[in-house]
Amino acid sequence: MSSVIEQIEQQIANLQSKTVATNTGKILTVGDGVAKIDGLSEVMYNEMIEFPGGTIGIALNLEEDEVGAVVLGESNHLKEGDEVKCTGTLLSVPVGKCMLGRVVDALGRPMDGKGIIDSSETNPVEKIAPGIIERKSVDQPLMTGIQSIDSMIPIGRGQRELIIGDRGTGKTTIAIDTIINQANINKVGLASGDPDFRPVYSIYVAVGQKNSNVARTLGILEEKGALEYTIIVSAPAADSAANQYLAPYTGAAMGEWFMSNGMDALIVYDDLSKHAAAYRQMSLVLKRPSGREAYPGDVFYLHSRLLERSARVNEANGNGSLTALPIIETLAGDLSAYIPTNVISITDGQIFLETDLFNQGIRPAVSVGLSVSRVGSAAQIKATKQVAGKIKLELAQFRELAAFAQFGSDLDAKTKAQLERGSRIVELFKQPAFNPIPIEQQVSALWAMQNNYFDDIDVSKIVEASNSLRDFFSSRKEALLTSIREKSKIDDDLDRELKSAVDEWKTSFN
Amino acid sequence: MTQDKQIKGFAKQLLKMSFENGELCVERVDGVLKTLEKNNQRHQIPVLKAYLKLVEREVAKSTAVISHAGRLSPELATSISKQLSTKYGRNVRPVTREDRSLIGGLCVVVDCDVYDASIASSLASLESSLS
Repeated sequence: MSSVIEQIEQQIANLQSKTVATNTGKILTVGDGVAKIDGLSEVMYNEMIEFPGGTIGIALNLEEDEVGAVVLGESNHLKEGDEVKCTGTLLSVPVGKCMLGRVVDALGRPMDGKGIIDSSETNPVEKIAPGIIERKSVDQPLMTGIQSIDSMIPIGRGQRELIIGDRGTGKTTIAIDTIINQANINKVGLASGDPDFRPVYSIYVAVGQKNSNVARTLGILEEKGALEYTIIVSAPAADSAANQYLAPYTGAAMGEWFMSNGMDALIVYDDLSKHAAAYRQMSLVLKRPSGREAYPGDVFYLHSRLLERSARVNEANGNGSLTALPIIETLAGDLSAYIPTNVISITDGQIFLETDLFNQGIRPAVSVGLSVSRVGSAAQIKATKQVAGKIKLELAQFRELAAFAQFGSDLDAKTKAQLERGSRIVELFKQPAFNPIPIEQQVSALWAMQNNYFDDIDVSKIVEASNSLRDFFSSRKEALLTSIREKSKIDDDLDRELKSAVDEWKTSFN
Repeated sequence: MTQDKQIKGFAKQLLKMSFENGELCVERVDGVLKTLEKNNQRHQIPVLKAYLKLVEREVAKSTAVISHAGRLSPELATSISKQLSTKYGRNVRPVTREDRSLIGGLCVVVDCDVYDASIASSLASLESSLS
């Protein structure tokens, strides 16, 4: 208490009467989260302005006679004639490691009831993306822990990989699994004491989601011990369109702090379809001209400037990375709609989730044929390339033959073998939600598949067999898993050890 | 929208006619109003409203409203208006008014610009820094 009194006394003693120059305006109209202001002759585009009661807004429409500003927060107390001031600053949010484990709103203010966030640094919400010279090519893997993705659609640190699909196909689950896997890897890596280990910090941006969904996600991350490496930026459906528009940029600002300080971060935007809808709402209220599907003309720029901020930067600029997993929801599987095509053209690949596969029980419902990673095997460790190199081709052949085999005609031995192999690979790739598999476990399972250990196991028992194999390795072959993880490639010694281990497992499984 | 633009454009032209030697002239404004009244043209009320808004803006640009708590000497008011005239590059005339809510000091308003050197604003900034 005495320190508080001392602080107050010091501030009063230092109080100096000085002239403060501000540029002001008066509210003409306010409604739907948008205020029209007369005056503000010195205001600049995107400048933060201050309304009465501490409410802030952003000047977005600079017209000849008035300024259109979006109000960030409650606007019920604002009325015609209220004075508005320019702040001369861009909107900034608190950043830093102190944000980890916290749930914040679109302005970086805590909403989890865990107290004030003590942050000494801020980053502007809108920032120009790194240029070409500042970047470096993507060559470090980002393991999602999802077998079908890590083996066939590998993601690298600094890449933008879109997750796209209809409602209820498991898009958010893939993102959460990735976040959980980063936390698991972080714990193992930090415990090992390896000085070259680079942890990945995660940011989950929830735009337009139900509060119950965000609460469930928070619960899952807490339960899996991933929250301590994660920041959640929440702009739920009940928030204003302005807050939902801002939230992804806030998340990007937080992620850029990690990137520019030599660390790796992952950001999930869930989802950008709702983000585009919020921007459309805001633009229509601001009376901006509308285009296709009533979206404003710059809806492409809305997402391109956001996603371009995710990059891998070179040593001179911090040697960090920001990997983006934007999520887009399609309607009836229509990939050729406006917003999906926009974001597909911006990102470095997409993971397409199909409702049909989901309903067939293939979960995660990744459509291998339509999914792609433009970074490809540059983002895979050698061990994965060695065991998973042919998987995509085998699955493609399987899909082609499966359609043919439906007609029940007599099949030759080679075709049957391809069908058998393909159906086993599909079963192997089935994975429960929120249970990411470490890469060394994935490598051992795929090695077993490629070396025909699953060929004599009934297709309906493949899931049970792969679970059994993983349990066997994690309980009795931990040293082998550690070797795979550390060496990152299967040399002759590891090949022999794998053979011996899998032989041992097969005996016990049979 | 187009009609609004036309009305605003016309009001701006009327404003241009109201200037003499770079300053708003009372006689010219009077002349403009009398001409409008005589001609009784289309959209006269909206044009007048737009013209009034522009004239008010011009007057505000050329007026420094000096709010003070306590005494303010005419010399100080003149000195303030001279400095503001130099800053803005046009003649700014002072208009003083007493405002006890400032507690002490001055607050000068020229159009959208506010120069606040009052005790009340210092206390308000102290309050916000402590909260």
